[in-house]
Amino acid sequence: MNTLLEAHEVTKTYEKAQRPSLKKVSFSVAAGEFIGIMGASGSGKTTLLNVLSTIDVPSGGDILINGINLRRLTGKSAADFRRDNLGFIFQEYFLLDSLTIRENISVPLTLQKLLPKKIEGMVLTLAERFGIAPQLDKYPSELSGGQRQRASAARAIIKKPSILFADEPTGALDSGSATELLNTLLEANQELDTTILMVTHDAYAASFTNRILIFKDGQIVKELSKQDGSRHDFYESIAAEVARLDTER
Amino acid sequence: MAFKNLRKNFSYYKLYLTSVSLIITTFFAFTSFSMNRIMLDKISENGRVESMCNTISIFLMAFVIFFMAYSNRFFLKRRTKELGIYALLGYQKITILSLLTFENIFICFGALGIGLVTGAIAHKGIVAGITALLRLSVDNALIPLFNVNALKKTVGFIMVVIFALCISNSRFLFKASLMSLIRFEKKAEKGMAFHYCPAILGFVMILCGYGLALDIFRGRKSVWFSIGFYPVGMLTAIFILFGTIFFISAFLPYVMEISKERKRTFYTQIKIITIPNFIYRIRSNAKTLIMLTLFSAATLTISSVMALSLYYPIAAVSRMAPSELECRIEKGDQVEKVKQLVSEYAPENTVTYTQTDIYKVTSKSLNLPMEYSVGTSKGDSDNQALLREKGFECISYSQYLSLLQAQKREDVIKDLCGLKDDECILVKYQPNTDGSDETGKTYLLSVNRNDILVTVKEVTLNNPISFANSVGTLIVSDATYERIQLGGMPKTSILSINGETIENQESLFDELKDLLENSPYLQGHTHRINEIFSLSSSTFLLIGFLVVLFFIATGSILYFNNLSSLTDSKEDYEILGKMGYTETAIRRIVKKQIAVFFCIPFLFGLIDCFFATIVYKTGLMQNILKNSLSLYVPTLAAIALTAIIYLIYYWLTVRSCCKIILKS
Repeated sequence: MNTLLEAHEVTKTYEKAQRPSLKKVSFSVAAGEFIGIMGASGSGKTTLLNVLSTIDVPSGGDILINGINLRRLTGKSAADFRRDNLGFIFQEYFLLDSLTIRENISVPLTLQKLLPKKIEGMVLTLAERFGIAPQLDKYPSELSGGQRQRASAARAIIKKPSILFADEPTGALDSGSATELLNTLLEANQELDTTILMVTHDAYAASFTNRILIFKDGQIVKELSKQDGSRHDFYESIAAEVARLDTER
Repeated sequence: MAFKNLRKNFSYYKLYLTSVSLIITTFFAFTSFSMNRIMLDKISENGRVESMCNTISIFLMAFVIFFMAYSNRFFLKRRTKELGIYALLGYQKITILSLLTFENIFICFGALGIGLVTGAIAHKGIVAGITALLRLSVDNALIPLFNVNALKKTVGFIMVVIFALCISNSRFLFKASLMSLIRFEKKAEKGMAFHYCPAILGFVMILCGYGLALDIFRGRKSVWFSIGFYPVGMLTAIFILFGTIFFISAFLPYVMEISKERKRTFYTQIKIITIPNFIYRIRSNAKTLIMLTLFSAATLTISSVMALSLYYPIAAVSRMAPSELECRIEKGDQVEKVKQLVSEYAPENTVTYTQTDIYKVTSKSLNLPMEYSVGTSKGDSDNQALLREKGFECISYSQYLSLLQAQKREDVIKDLCGLKDDECILVKYQPNTDGSDETGKTYLLSVNRNDILVTVKEVTLNNPISFANSVGTLIVSDATYERIQLGGMPKTSILSINGETIENQESLFDELKDLLENSPYLQGHTHRINEIFSLSSSTFLLIGFLVVLFFIATGSILYFNNLSSLTDSKEDYEILGKMGYTETAIRRIVKKQIAVFFCIPFLFGLIDCFFATIVYKTGLMQNILKNSLSLYVPTLAAIALTAIIYLIYYWLTVRSCCKIILKS
């Protein structure tokens, strides 16, 4: 498979911080992968997500997405890059309260200056796939948490990003809604070939991915791969590794 | 803790402090002025200014309380969650109330300190301005920088305001449950129901209001005359008031919702955010927006009408007293005595004396213009003895020309093209209300037993003699004038005195007044202007205080309102940035959103002001200067000033909002 994302010795040290948040992190992501990033609080997961998604700038090292070195992007070019290549899902949904679900999902497409008819068609197709078509004309506040997160996922996926970043997407959901959302992400990964990089604390959520990078003190300390095993076996191995790391701490 | 809070939120409190300081500055300057006995003695007659001050003072105090209560509630709402956490940690409500009261005391007394100093300076400036404008002789040393009584009143009033804010805060705190404090966030919005009826009603009422205002142009046929000015004025105001309410709360969101159907324009990166945001915001801010719109309309109308009321009489002086000095010669030696007196003030060769004999000629013609027939029939005059005979007051073309030359009215002279023997120029007091004029009409002048037929060649408003001496003057050819002269018709002699050296000589005017035994026929051009300034300036100054206060309050409320809304939706802008919106696009969204909220009150205020000024000018003011656009220059100046103030507040608001949003 083609390499979509390549991180080479990425370092991030915040001003006034005594230790770096990321220490020479290197890894690569192939197109179509579903990757999980796990680790305890303060291990550097969110920092990594921020630098990979151009929201923050690394202190050292290089990040290449689709062959473009993110260190060379500034201001407008970074915004354009995000518009054309990246999608985001957050724990708090971050839907725009004043817009209906249809309008929320349409926003990324207006940035691509598509025709209204095409936008409406794409929104409806994806909403049907994500099971939120009846809620399209409702406002975020009128939806359940699970529906909101699926709407947020639809908004991220609709522009067919090169890579989708999900930051604890199930963190605010009950188990039923979480499973629904994870299945939706899996479906997007398998059927729409969306590459996903998901930060999570939850071993159950991580078991939906193909590969896990476990972080500790700003470094990758372990990499787990699902390979041909079942999701249940993968879950068991993730849970065991997490327990081991907890004991070490 | 209160001090720490103020320091932490200084960026929010900065403008509040500035606004309160400005308001206290205005209040203290006004109070100092209204308690300045030295100035009041100079400008007030019969306690007129004092009673105006008392009335305006009540408005001023009500307004300060309203503004401070609004701002206080704004900050309270922003911090409700924080207060909830204090409560959760075990703080008693009385402790939280003390914290808020201490903060209010810090702010109010900080603003009071600034306001007292700037207010005292502003008061000195106002005194200096009025003294210079009205040429008053005032010993500035007798006016203290800080008027002790004004100081006491201002400090006392601010204490009352703090007490009122404390009561308001305690009501809020003690009514709110712990849960409601903690869970107090921006209200989740549900789908808005768009009501067709109030939307259409708002639009129709606004149209009716403006339609009624425009009806005044129909003159005598208009409902303003047939029904009456005040009932129709009241009806128009009701239409505009309720129309504005429904227009803002129902029609605008309805139109915005409809505009979403125009998909080509809606599905763009800016409008897909700004249109729903506007609908969303108007749901919770309609009341504030309506209040601000009505404030703006009132402020703009007051300032525009005020500017017009001052400018119009001054502009009209050129008609009321066209010569620098003018008097009626009623005794044989008066001319010499007047010349003698004038020569004491100005060298002889710099002054022009023009003596004009106005002949009163009766006329058998029916339907004479109003200026020439007023007071000629029963009912026109209360006193039968004063009944005039129908006819014309005639001067010759040469005299007309000499007077215009002496008055240096080159533009009028340029357009003159002479008169044939049977032609005349008709000077009107004001244009006919139906827009017609008397050009081409013929009138009979009865000179002894002969009738002279004259045709009106031109109708003019350029009267060469003051209205006090001749309301309507007929300018006839020199030959006709000679015939009238020979006929021995009754005449009045007028002496017009012109020259730059006698301009603005109030003592000369006073001496002339004594010389002519307080004759009502003595008129002075600059004397009249000074008189208007002296009579009106205090009124305008006092209303000016209110207008300034209105501006500060309206601008500040708009600032706080926008800042609050945009700060609440800070996360929305973060997500837009993550989606790929550039900083420029986000700035454009912010600017558009704020611009809409500034434009609604300003544009509505502007339109309301425009129609109100038209009604005022057409219905309540005499039209002696014709409907020239130049008359609206002061109105335009008032609007431009308002626009500048709004633009400053808009710029400040955009700057603060962008700073908060883009920082994150």
